[in-house]
Formats: sequence, C-alpha cells, structure tokens
Amino acid sequence: MNWLFLAQAETPEYNFWNGAPGSPALLTKVVIALLVGIGIMIALMFAPTRLRRPLVALATFVAGGFWMASTFWPTAPDAVTEGRNASEKVAIFLKDVTSVVADFSNVLTAFLLGLGIYSIVSVHGKRILKRQQDWSFSVVLFASIVLMAIFGYADWMDEQNRTAAVTALSPGFWNRGRDLLFDGMLQNMDAAMFSLIAFFILSAAYRAFRIRSVESTILLSTALIVMLSLMGVVVSAWDGLAGDFAGGNLKLSEISKFINSNLQTPGIQAVKFGLGIATLAMAMRIWLSLERGGLNS
Amino acid sequence: MQWKDTGWIQMVFLLGMIFMILLNIKRAKGTKELYIRRIAGLNAIDEAIGRSTEMGKPVLMVPGIGDLNAISIQALNIFAYVTRTAARFANPIRICIANPAVYTVAQEIISDVYQKEGLGDRYDPDSVRFVSDRQFAFAAGVSGIIHREQTAATFFLGEFFAESLIFAETANSIGAIQVASSTETTQTPFFIAACDYVLIGDEFYAASAYLSREPVLVGSLVGQDWCKIAVIGLIIGGFITNSIEQPKMLKDEESGKMRYLKREERLIYRIFHPEVDQEKEAK
Repeated sequence: MNWLFLAQAETPEYNFWNGAPGSPALLTKVVIALLVGIGIMIALMFAPTRLRRPLVALATFVAGGFWMASTFWPTAPDAVTEGRNASEKVAIFLKDVTSVVADFSNVLTAFLLGLGIYSIVSVHGKRILKRQQDWSFSVVLFASIVLMAIFGYADWMDEQNRTAAVTALSPGFWNRGRDLLFDGMLQNMDAAMFSLIAFFILSAAYRAFRIRSVESTILLSTALIVMLSLMGVVVSAWDGLAGDFAGGNLKLSEISKFINSNLQTPGIQAVKFGLGIATLAMAMRIWLSLERGGLNS
Repeated sequence: MQWKDTGWIQMVFLLGMIFMILLNIKRAKGTKELYIRRIAGLNAIDEAIGRSTEMGKPVLMVPGIGDLNAISIQALNIFAYVTRTAARFANPIRICIANPAVYTVAQEIISDVYQKEGLGDRYDPDSVRFVSDRQFAFAAGVSGIIHREQTAATFFLGEFFAESLIFAETANSIGAIQVASSTETTQTPFFIAACDYVLIGDEFYAASAYLSREPVLVGSLVGQDWCKIAVIGLIIGGFITNSIEQPKMLKDEESGKMRYLKREERLIYRIFHPEVDQEKEAK
C-alpha cells in the first residue's frame, strides 16, 4: 500500500522537525518521537501523585509560552532563511516548529475522536441490547456511520487513481454512493435543521416582544423601528411624510441609523471588551496554573 | 507580529492589563471580603436543580460546540458546580458534547466531582455523551434528548452559533427552566428571547468567582474591573483629544488652503498606528 500520501506534501523545505517522505531519516525521527512519547506517558503514569500537578503545570506553562512566543516574537522577512542575528534565528526556529506543534493537536484530536466514537457506541449499543425506547433509531445511527465510513473511504481511495475530470464524466459506484449519502441526504438534513430556526425566531420573538414590563416595551419599540426601516415601502412613505422636519432627523432611516450606530454598536463593543478582558484573565489563570480546578476544587 | 514597528502601544497595554490581573490575584489571596454584585442567572442554578429533583427529571448541560479552550473549560467549571449539587440530590444529569477533546475533559471533571462527593456509585459514564461534531447533527441529537427525556432544567453555557435557538426553543417547548450564556454576541439576543436567565458577556466568566468565592478567582475579577476602568479611561482620553483636535486647522501642502486635520493626522490614531509616521519619514 502506498503510504506516501501521509507525508507533509505542503512542506517543501525539510528541517530538524520533518524529512523527505519515505526517507530513512524521517522514519528514524518518527520512531524516536514515538519512543519519547511512550516514555513520557509511562513516566507520567508511574509518577507520584504529588509530582503530577507540578508536571502538568510545567507542561501547560511551556506550551502556553511557546504560543505566546510564536504570536508576539517579531517575524523574520520571508526571504530570510538563515538568521542574521539572534532575533531572526529565534523567529525562524519558531516558524519551523509552529507547524509541527500544530500537528500535535491534530494527532491528539484524532485519538480523542476515537473516544468520542466509543461514547456513541456505548450509549447506543446499550440501547439496542436492552431494547430501550426508540432503539430502532440507534440501529439507523450505526448503519449510517458504517455506510458513510465505507463509501467515504472507498470514494477517497478511488479518487487517488482518477482525475477530477474523469470522475466528473463517469462517476463510479463509490462516488455515486458517497454523493447520495453526503450531498443527497446529510446536507439536506442539515439544511432542514437550519431552516427550523426561521420558525423558532418567530415564536421566540413573539414571547420576547409581549408588553410585560418597561424593558420589554422598549425592546418592542426599538425592534419595530429597526424592522420597519428594512421595509422599502414603509421607509419611503415615512421619510416622505417626515421630510426635513427637525433637520431630517425624524426620518425612519435616520432613527434606525441612530439606533444601530449609537445604541447597538457601542453595546456590543462593551460586551466584547468585557469578554476579551475576561478571556485574558482566564487564559492567564490557566497558563500559570492558578485555576486549580475552579469550582471543583 | 511586528509589534516593535506597528503596535508597541497595544503590547504595553496588554502587559499592563496582565499586571493588573496578577496584582489583584496576589492582593486577594487570604481575603474573602471582596464584593461581587448579584447575578440572577447564577442564583437560579439551585432553583433549576431543585425543580428537576422535584420532578425526577434530568438536568441537561451543553458546553457549546467550540474546541477545547478557555470558554469550554469555564463552561465545564460551572457544570462541575451544577453536577455536585445534582449529585447530592441523586438527580440524573446529561452533558451533551460536540467536540471529542471537550468530551474527554468533561468525563474526567464530572467523574472527579462524584468521587470527591463520595458518590462514585452514582456516576453514570453515559451521562457525559459525545453526540456529533457536526453542528446540525448535534442540534438534532440534543433536541431529541430534550424531548425524549423531558429535561426539567437546561444549562447552555459556552460557544454557541446558529444552533442556540434550536436548543432554547426546544427546551422552552417542554417547559424546562433555562440558564444560558453565549460568548458569541450574535447569539445572546436569541438566548435572551427564549431562555429564563441569561449571563451576558463576562458574567459567564465571573460565574466561578461568584459561586466559589475563591480568592484567586475573586481577585482576578477585581483585576478585570481595573482593566475595564483603564479601557474606559482610554476611551475618554481619546474622546477628549479628538474633540480638541477636531476644530484645529492647518495649511494643506498641496493646495495651500486651510483644512481640518484628517483622521490619520490625529494624535490617538497616530499612537495606535505608528506605521503612518514611519511611512511619512520614509517618503
């Protein structure tokens, strides 16, 4: 089987962190990385409990520090491949390593997705075995997972041997099957769920805009003005009636513009400022391991 | 980021904010006297769990559909508190997750909560579920769980997008008490329209400090308030300098006529965009 497709085809230049696809150097690096990874995992498993927290704190600090450095360290010009001074050398090192470190999270996510699938199998498998309510839907779920995996993988393998033009002219069995499952069913079901939002907006807006308090009355009035300002006929009639009275400020389009730029936008900006600062504080607590379990401590 | 050339003031401001947060964390250690204003949505947590205990129905929690980041960790922190309260009353819980990394962390946190409460036998590993990583498949799955299990209380806290209203309206249709918060400002109005209690903006991050009163968290909250004061100061400063510079006139080099200052010629703009001055020098 040709495993060369797994190589990093988008990285033409090789450094300490990668190598030419299929080369002995790359294989050696992969084996060393694997052994180091297994070694770290075994060391963590057998580490005394009191040592685990500092170790996790150290790993968090190093990982966070790396991303801080890769974000804030001044970058070297694109043309420079060999650092001319210490700053550029660090910049080039960070640039080389960033894609490798980013791959760490991809590899981890791939493993974790396996755990996610285990959860699905566990929940729905028990439901089928115990013949619980609606167990038949769980059977449909398993059938969907298996079918999608088979057709998706077979179509992808097929594509490796055929050009896009050939596939477009005469789609094979796997391609037709995959299109039916993905474009014909999954995409449409996604769209169906998305379209529900239109009806939910109506029912939620009805409840929110009922006049129950001063706040909901203000909400209703502003919403009404903004909604009316989006209707061309209403805007035209209103603006025509208001004319230049009060300096033209009573035109519906002007009132709506005022609400958007002087009430809505500053409100959203204020919320975003708060969120940004709070995220910074949270990130600092996690990075420096000050969070210590939060509400679970 | 070429901060030396283009944005040194942002870097200084960022470091200033980090300093204020860390200083207040240090200050707050050893004291629990700092005041936090009442947040209705967080007071409603116990009420919602109590109601679901009375009804014998599960409590549903969703930490959004985002990756494993500060937002999902904060949501799981709040869920740890909810779970602990639910565990004491032997109330079933359901945590539906769309991201495998968040799922793994959530399982650890929730299992830990039961162990620490000495109620390990009550922990059901299937109560923390990975539903799907596809947005609307996840929305359909969670809506199905809400309908089938008739959840009495729902907590939607985290990073939500278009699926927010589907969750909120589905839960509303079965009469569940809902506490919600989205870090996406575009989704907050949907939650406000459909849910009973909503944590707006940074109230979501204040939850840990509010519920635990832990000095580190409370100190961090005070530090955030200092940062907000600094931002407000900056806005007022910008407003004043711009107002002073607005009526200033200078002679245009090209036409020789008097004109008002352009936006990029004003002080505040130049401070935040030093590259403008450098480009001028280069010419």
